[in-house]
Amino acid sequence: MARRYVMTLLLFLLFIVETTIVPLLIPGAWQTRIIPHLVFVVILFAAVYDHRYVALMLGLAFGMLHDVVFYGIMIGTYSFSMGLSGYLMGLLFRSRRASLLVMMIVVVIGSLLMDSMVFGIYTVFKIYKLPYTYALVDHIIPTMIVQLIFALAIYVPLRRQIDKLVRRRPQEETA
Amino acid sequence: MFILLIGLILFVAVMGFTLGPRAGLSWPEKFIKDTVGFVQSVFYKPARAVAGFFEDISNLRSLQEENKELKIMMAHYSREMPKINALQTQVESLQNDLKFTEAQKNSNKFDLAIVDVVSVNNDPANRTLVINRGSNDKIRKGLTVISDKGMVGIVSEVSNFTSTVKLLTSMDSRDITSPGIAATAVGKENTSFGIIEDYDQQTGTFLMTKINQNDPLAKGDQIVTSGAGGAFPKNLPIGTVVSRQPGNGLTATATIKPAASFENWKSLFVVITWEVPK
Repeated sequence: MARRYVMTLLLFLLFIVETTIVPLLIPGAWQTRIIPHLVFVVILFAAVYDHRYVALMLGLAFGMLHDVVFYGIMIGTYSFSMGLSGYLMGLLFRSRRASLLVMMIVVVIGSLLMDSMVFGIYTVFKIYKLPYTYALVDHIIPTMIVQLIFALAIYVPLRRQIDKLVRRRPQEETA
Repeated sequence: MFILLIGLILFVAVMGFTLGPRAGLSWPEKFIKDTVGFVQSVFYKPARAVAGFFEDISNLRSLQEENKELKIMMAHYSREMPKINALQTQVESLQNDLKFTEAQKNSNKFDLAIVDVVSVNNDPANRTLVINRGSNDKIRKGLTVISDKGMVGIVSEVSNFTSTVKLLTSMDSRDITSPGIAATAVGKENTSFGIIEDYDQQTGTFLMTKINQNDPLAKGDQIVTSGAGGAFPKNLPIGTVVSRQPGNGLTATATIKPAASFENWKSLFVVITWEVPK
């Protein structure tokens, strides 16, 4: 159980790094086009290798954190999109033995889904007014590529940790 | 499935509730903001210092030139200073003669509070910054935030030790909570007037609307806040006019290139205006 708390704490640290250090590393012209949500990549790993409810909970919690800390217009956008897309990805792709390729496909689809959901919510509330094709080329695809690279980088260590986490727990649910 | 549906309804309710104008933050929100803001500042400061170090090295060559320019500007400044002081005393004595009330006298006074950017959210529809000063340092909702170049945003939420700044890039004339900025051109303060209320994300420019057709505003003019309406202090630089177009109906519009660059955040200033006592 202790490992689980440590992992959540590390995820919180990743959230801090994502909002403070990562924007400094991105060159000026790309700062509005690459908006990596590294925490969400880890949540996708949790959805595939652990369980969709874990992904749902983490998504809701860290999305809400993001919403509250960066409260400019409204609360709930990221909480909703991260939670739901994490859950859906878990529902569709959950497999303890998913290969690297499958995981990367999940990251691609998950990133596109999450950013599209954020786009959808902002469009419904008339906050973002540009067409979807523009948003796709402007920030959704560049962000997805960076998230994919991050997923490749953390694949081996993160998978090892999640496997340890899951193995320790008895297989109580097979849903 | 049923739970999912309830969740969906709950989220739409939360989004709708937080979208409109709100008086302030609830205590759990303040607590989360302050705690996370503190941890973020621990990370951001050293990272910014390291990034700044490398930036300084690459800027070393242009330093001499910059120094020369600054010396010239300093000379200008020290030459103008006595003149400004004389004008200041004259204005004050005239205000006294005309029996200005305390509120009228203080309406154009402001302090600058220097703040550090703690973290950045570059989400295109909702670009916000977190700064390391809050209501304990007299920061209030709605105050203007400027960089050394010009206006960058408006304080959108305040907790005790941190605040969130909504950047001008999310300005939108169709959003009731997004304020329009009354603006004028430098040197044409009495004849030029318009409202800046939209930001075009595709071109990265502001749109100034409601300009009178006889207005002398032209390409190349420097746009500053006019102070009309009292929401923003006077004479804060906003940008320069790129082009002027006929608008719909009797007014013209102008495209304005922002003075501030909305990237590579360093220190910012919050313009603390005099608060009208209630």
